[in-house]
Amino acid sequence: MAELESPGVMPKLIAFLSSLLERVAESNDLTRRVTTQSQRVSVFHGLSRPTITIQSYLERIFKYANCSPSCFVVAYVYLDRFTHRQPSLPINSFNVHRLLITSVMVSAKFLDDLYYNNAYYAKVGGISTKEMNLLELDFLFGLGFDLNVTPNTFHAYFSYLQKEMTLLQPLSLVVAPPRSVSAFNEDEASHQKQQLAV
Amino acid sequence: MEKYEKLEKVGEGTYGKVYKAKDKETGQLVALKKTRLEMDEEGVPPTALREVSLLQMLSHSLYVVRLLCVEHVENKHGKPLLYLVFEYLETDLKKFIDSHRKGPNPRPLDTTLIRSFLYQLCKGVAHCHGHGVLHRDLKPQNLLVDKEKGILKIADLGLGRAFTVPLKSYTHEIVTLWYRAPEVLLGSTHYSTAVDMWSVGCIFAEMVRRQALFPGDSEFQQLLHIFRDMHNPGNKVYLWGGEWIAGKPTEKMWPGVGSLRDWHVYPQWEPQNLQRAVPSLGPDGLDLLSKMLKYDPAERISAKEALDHPFFDSLDKSQF
Repeated sequence: MAELESPGVMPKLIAFLSSLLERVAESNDLTRRVTTQSQRVSVFHGLSRPTITIQSYLERIFKYANCSPSCFVVAYVYLDRFTHRQPSLPINSFNVHRLLITSVMVSAKFLDDLYYNNAYYAKVGGISTKEMNLLELDFLFGLGFDLNVTPNTFHAYFSYLQKEMTLLQPLSLVVAPPRSVSAFNEDEASHQKQQLAV
Repeated sequence: MEKYEKLEKVGEGTYGKVYKAKDKETGQLVALKKTRLEMDEEGVPPTALREVSLLQMLSHSLYVVRLLCVEHVENKHGKPLLYLVFEYLETDLKKFIDSHRKGPNPRPLDTTLIRSFLYQLCKGVAHCHGHGVLHRDLKPQNLLVDKEKGILKIADLGLGRAFTVPLKSYTHEIVTLWYRAPEVLLGSTHYSTAVDMWSVGCIFAEMVRRQALFPGDSEFQQLLHIFRDMHNPGNKVYLWGGEWIAGKPTEKMWPGVGSLRDWHVYPQWEPQNLQRAVPSLGPDGLDLLSKMLKYDPAERISAKEALDHPFFDSLDKSQF
């Protein structure tokens, strides 16, 4: 995709993805506090909230992973699929970092012919290789190994991101019922209002 | 994994041992591909990761091996293992061809069977390509065969790749040398479905000849084999599809060939008749083979087009 390669697009995309995930995580943090509904604690759940911001973390991954720019769009697709398939594991401030590093790594391993190994990603992500490997397995099984992304799906997600990016400051969060996850419908994605797990 | 009883080791896959096993309850035979996940630096091998996700999408075709499930278990030392459970087929096309070349009763493969196998192979490749997947490692070893039923299925998607999403350049370290398309050998980094069709052509010729068409032992030798078979002066071959003649590709045959990364100036050999490589093949078969072995990837026949080629006219397609 030419658009992804043009200068300035990736930093904007990273910034936008970060703000999107931040809002999702905060919203789910809140939901977690105000509802009695249990959210499963997974291997992705850190004991404490990492101090690095989502944006700095994602920028760090972008800087060191050196993968195809498409991998970030695909990682976003994976996160959406993951939350869709694992409704009891919504993205929150405690797990968002681990989910991010894992999804980018898995998309690079799936898509790129040249990629760094898990040990490298573990260093980039600030976790141990052992933990990185466990996260990878849990993520893959959580996704049901559903890693392929069709051109239609890719373009639907990418154009959604682009559209939102041009609005720069997306106005309001659609406040949906607790833990609702509206994911892309693979077939009619482009016509739907899309929001990653708010 | 207690569900299965391991019967014997049947091979080494891309990333681990393969066992023949039996489902204790149903008696169904399966192939277990074991992937060790030592707490090592690589994590899940990307070949396994790709194979599972690609097969989940492709496995519903009759002409692609069926992945039954994936199991994550720990061995007795507490080490994690990943098992890929496949349907079991008794042999592969390489062993099948070998059994017709060597052994007690050497004989050519039956022409009807070649036709049927090639048709099933094209069906499977068309299915992969239709789902946006390049196999990139088609070779007789990766084609499973049921002798009794005359069925052929594509396996080993470990080097497969989805070609649908824009990516950084592709590796050219793909496809076993003998079946590797010239554009890959010449260093092209943005190849497409035509690379698989080249392999299909080589496999087609191999079924007819009972030996590999271009058995090179280095990338350079491989190109020489294609441009002209160096080692068999009495059997100078091959290709240039359209005119039944071979020789070094020219800009006219393949626009842009001279600007590929690894292009060198090669000697000019006299083009030879492709038929000499596959003397037992009739005109329809030769025509199809020559279309699969076109130098210019843009001109090479697609799997879908191949299915409609007159070579398959005499085949009873209702069975597929």
